[in-house]
Amino acid sequence: MAVVRNIDQIARVEGHGRLRLVQRQGRVIEARFELYESLRLFEALVVGRCFDEIPAIVCRICSICSTIHKVAALQTVEAALGVTVSPQTALLRQLAVQGGQIESHALHLFCLALPDYLDCGGLAGLARKIPHELTQGLAIKALGNQIQEQVGGRAIHPFNLLLGGMGTVPTRDRLQRLADDLRAAIAAAGASIALIAGLDGALPPLPVVPGCAVDCASSLVGTHLATTDGVRIGADDAYDWLDEQLTGTSTAKVSNFGGKGPYLVGPLARLNLNAPLEPAAKAAFRHHRSALIAASPAGSNLARTIELLQAVERAGRLIDELLQNGLHPEQPVSPQVASGSATVLCEAPRGLLLHQYRFDADGRCTAAQVVTPTAINQRALKLSLAALVDRLPAATADEFRLQAERLVRCFDPCISCAVH
Amino acid sequence: MKRPRLAIAGLSGCSGCQLALLNCEAELSLLLEQVECQFFPLAISPVELTGRYDLALVEGCCTSRHDTFLLRELRKRSSRLIALGTCAAWGGVAAMGNDRPRSRLRRQVYGNQPIPADGVPRPVSTVVTVDATVHGCPPEPAELLALLADLLHDTLPLQRSFPVCCDCRMRENLCLLQERGMLCLGLLTAGGCDARCPSLGVPCEGCRGPVPEANVTEALTIYRQKGFDAPTVLGRLRRFCPEWQYGSGA
Repeated sequence: MAVVRNIDQIARVEGHGRLRLVQRQGRVIEARFELYESLRLFEALVVGRCFDEIPAIVCRICSICSTIHKVAALQTVEAALGVTVSPQTALLRQLAVQGGQIESHALHLFCLALPDYLDCGGLAGLARKIPHELTQGLAIKALGNQIQEQVGGRAIHPFNLLLGGMGTVPTRDRLQRLADDLRAAIAAAGASIALIAGLDGALPPLPVVPGCAVDCASSLVGTHLATTDGVRIGADDAYDWLDEQLTGTSTAKVSNFGGKGPYLVGPLARLNLNAPLEPAAKAAFRHHRSALIAASPAGSNLARTIELLQAVERAGRLIDELLQNGLHPEQPVSPQVASGSATVLCEAPRGLLLHQYRFDADGRCTAAQVVTPTAINQRALKLSLAALVDRLPAATADEFRLQAERLVRCFDPCISCAVH
Repeated sequence: MKRPRLAIAGLSGCSGCQLALLNCEAELSLLLEQVECQFFPLAISPVELTGRYDLALVEGCCTSRHDTFLLRELRKRSSRLIALGTCAAWGGVAAMGNDRPRSRLRRQVYGNQPIPADGVPRPVSTVVTVDATVHGCPPEPAELLALLADLLHDTLPLQRSFPVCCDCRMRENLCLLQERGMLCLGLLTAGGCDARCPSLGVPCEGCRGPVPEANVTEALTIYRQKGFDAPTVLGRLRRFCPEWQYGSGA
């Protein structure tokens, strides 16, 4: 007879997800990952609210990704109302987004994922086993937060990024100091790639899942999405193509990709879709290319570490550009209130993120759609878990559970985002 | 000295209050020496409630049956329970739609697709007794560290009773409401944030919830003089505290 064992809450992921293991004679025959986060209903909460309130509300979908949610919402509202921001504001937003990328990737690698490979439960164990690497990793994470703080005003739920511009433009001195710290952190970020690449206890070979990412150069915001198997979709058609449905076992909608897929979104997909890289990240990518190109989702942590280095370099480059242009105080552009709608595609730390809003003639929101990377990745994760069951026929339930949790964490799920 | 035993839990929310703690990168290692963080699903495995806790920090609002179960269990096991952040204290953004039927909101997002039952998001204090509250969306990292320092000295944090305006005066900021005519909610919002937003020229959005004993009538008069009527002001205040009702019916 089959027995169902529930791992009620998977630790070291954001939000509430459970693992269901169906067992027969002590062996796991089926594994499911279910998101049971309470309904958050943001897409309904913003309906009726004025356009200028939307970004501050929806950035509360998630703390780890709050900067990219804020920027995505700002740019969608601006596109709907025909607002163009100054090149300085555009650069500062890109910088804040890179700060978010650094913080999120470093959090995942150094606080959530590494304990899996060092046989411990969390930070206290890491502090005992790899004190030096942990200190370095946390210092990189802190740097990501400092960027978000200097540009966004706060590390979580940045408020200084406003519709049409900035509250206060950061000072030259502060940006210069950040640039110096970023340059100094390149070596540590490079060392973390070697650390992750050298980890023991890899997962068994798993199927490769085609990747999907926004075609966005290095800005992390773009007008099209592309897949590794040749699909190319414009922002206006992306929501329909993603085609979200409920499946019954999870409170997050699941994407159907117009009957195709599944697709993987996130660091590995971005690297496989030739996201442009800065020099050191490019060299690291070339060095580890064979472990990354057409890799299964188990290769995500290595990809995430290369992106960590990329974000450190890119953020430094953006500051150089800002300082070279000279910093100018500016007043935010005021939008003309009119009806309109827009969709923006961007890359959150965990992958493709879509924001879509519609406004009536008074500037009130009449419809909102948000599609998040963790929701999109559910089918890829399901496929990978099923393959893991096949690959580990002899594993005891406890051994299987360990590997299954490790696999789930390779996707770095952000369940608050997924259920939004 | 025995290290205090901690439980840090997230109910329905964005994990931002817990992340604010993980963002104290420089202090983390010292913290881990001083306290035993036994239950902290966001950062520590396995997820298992065991024995008693000296302190439980609870983030998010109580929405689902699972939330209620965990919250009651933490209360039973903990000497002190702290509502961490605005969702736990007031309901926060998650409860913003509590003035509309939940079934309507659910239909707007999920259509008629079957979806597991849930409850209405509510502050932690409506379910269990709360010993102290830390405000903010998110709370200030310094406040979290002060809270843990208080715990190590076997006491509870001081509950502040001044508005964001006091923080602004201390920083000698220009008044965004009086001098720039912006809808700044600092008058009615609990202080302690060092006027983080107004100091960068961004009006207070009220993320720390209502200040105790606010003179709402007087504040609404000032807002009216500046061109903001009561429904507009209260609508903004309810973004973080849906229970704000003062003066709306009058």
